[in-house]
Amino acid sequence: MAIADFVKSARESFWVGWKIESNWTDPVLFATYQIIRPLASLMIVGFIVILGAATSQYLAWVIVGSAFYAYVLQVMLGMAILVFVDRNRYEVLKNIYISPGTLHPYVIGRGLVSVLNGTISVVLTLLFSVAIFNGLLHMNIPLDLLGVNLLMLLPAVVLGIISLLAIGYMLCAVNIVSNRMEFILGDSVSGVFFLLGGVIFPISFLPEQIQRISNALPVTYFLNTVRESFGLLPPGNLPPGNYMSDLGILGLTTLAALILGVSVFRLAERRAKRLGLFDRKSEY
Amino acid sequence: MLPELSIRDDLLNNLRAAYARMWVRLRGANRDPTALVAEIGLPILTIGAYVILYRAIGFPATAGAAVIIGGAMIAFWTNVLWNMSSQWFWEREQGNLEMYLVAPVSRMSILLGMAMGGGLNTALRALGIVLLGIFIFQVPFQLKEPLLVGVVFVLTLVALYALGMLFASLFMLYGREAWNTANLLQEPVYFLSGAYFPGFYGPIVPLAIQAAGSLIPMTIGLDAIRRLAIGGGDISSVWLHIIALVACTLILFPIARRTLNYMESLGKKEGRLTLRWQ
Repeated sequence: MAIADFVKSARESFWVGWKIESNWTDPVLFATYQIIRPLASLMIVGFIVILGAATSQYLAWVIVGSAFYAYVLQVMLGMAILVFVDRNRYEVLKNIYISPGTLHPYVIGRGLVSVLNGTISVVLTLLFSVAIFNGLLHMNIPLDLLGVNLLMLLPAVVLGIISLLAIGYMLCAVNIVSNRMEFILGDSVSGVFFLLGGVIFPISFLPEQIQRISNALPVTYFLNTVRESFGLLPPGNLPPGNYMSDLGILGLTTLAALILGVSVFRLAERRAKRLGLFDRKSEY
Repeated sequence: MLPELSIRDDLLNNLRAAYARMWVRLRGANRDPTALVAEIGLPILTIGAYVILYRAIGFPATAGAAVIIGGAMIAFWTNVLWNMSSQWFWEREQGNLEMYLVAPVSRMSILLGMAMGGGLNTALRALGIVLLGIFIFQVPFQLKEPLLVGVVFVLTLVALYALGMLFASLFMLYGREAWNTANLLQEPVYFLSGAYFPGFYGPIVPLAIQAAGSLIPMTIGLDAIRRLAIGGGDISSVWLHIIALVACTLILFPIARRTLNYMESLGKKEGRLTLRWQ
């Protein structure tokens, strides 16, 4: 399939996805919806850090981690439910599949809607965090949104998003061949990343054996590199990270996730076709 | 014309409907062991993250115990949102809503059945979460009045599911809004109920947040259970909570009934009761 066709299909899929996710309400309510969830999560952690009289440096570290974790949540939850919604609710998955070469760009396009939602959440969460913790509570947290190094941030975010989309691809694949996992898969995977990805505490606080798993996750390096681009140091007496090394490992883990994601998806696609799963519906 | 039922027969009919709805819910939710394991194991991931955070910033081990109880209670909130509040939406999507509406029973008995089934299912999972949490994180509990904990727990569930009935009525005509509103009511309620905080009613949480959180029965019940199970409290430390929970139920239940009737009648007028794919 020509690249131009792929891009066109992905663009149309993105547009459909955006309509489905956003036109149920007016733009103001939609923006509120995008901000309230991540902000509430951040407020929980923020309060705990304040209660624990931890340093403002730790709070800044947590804010950036929690804000960018919105990408993980949006992509995992959005892509985990995609197959179920299109197969069961709208009953269009079979139509998409029988159109020539549209399934892959369709999944990518819909995944990009989650990325856009994530971006809105990240930006609004960062702005509100600074407004609340520095503006309202005068905590003087060392978080300079204008001082972020964009040359460091952009590659980190792009690689992080690609890795998340690759993992989301795997979730879609699992849902194509199963019909009982859609409601738990996204939560499970994002829950694992929340615990092991260094979102609210450095992974060195985890037991040593579990740290090995954390060290193999792209999310860990995604959050590390993002924090480094904001010039944030790890809390406590932990040594500062090395941006180039973290970015390199993020690139490698992203590549691994991409290869795995596409392979798993192709396997699932073949199995679904053989067993006639593309139009299988399940009711509860 | 059909003969009119006596009050006794009518009551029996409604109780049968509630039982039938409860049975479907119990069977439906427990037929898949994978889902059961995931529903117990999943909250442990988030609970674990908060327990480690508390340890990292030097909180006592009781903070971990508070988070485990909070995490278990969140399971009920999630159930109320997805299996009560949004339920009419799911039923409409699957074509069941019209069957409920033409059945010769009160819609409240269907909601009652959903609430009982959901409450029992979630209680099983919450017990699993607490036991697994205690096993993994080795946190201390100081339980002196188990019976009182049971009473407070049941009162909390009754009030919480009465709120669920109200939401179910309000969400009745929702399309995609049901999904998104249920999503929207997750994290903010985790925050407002203090589910992941070591304590909620105290000088550390701002008064405005305490006031907003108190509108959710789970906040009140959760605080009472923590006082009894972690703080070793007795009736003198939770009597106000008990009164508040009873008051919540007495207020929410009739409101839910009226709202359900109103929304049903509105749905009929606007022809939205069988509308799908909104």
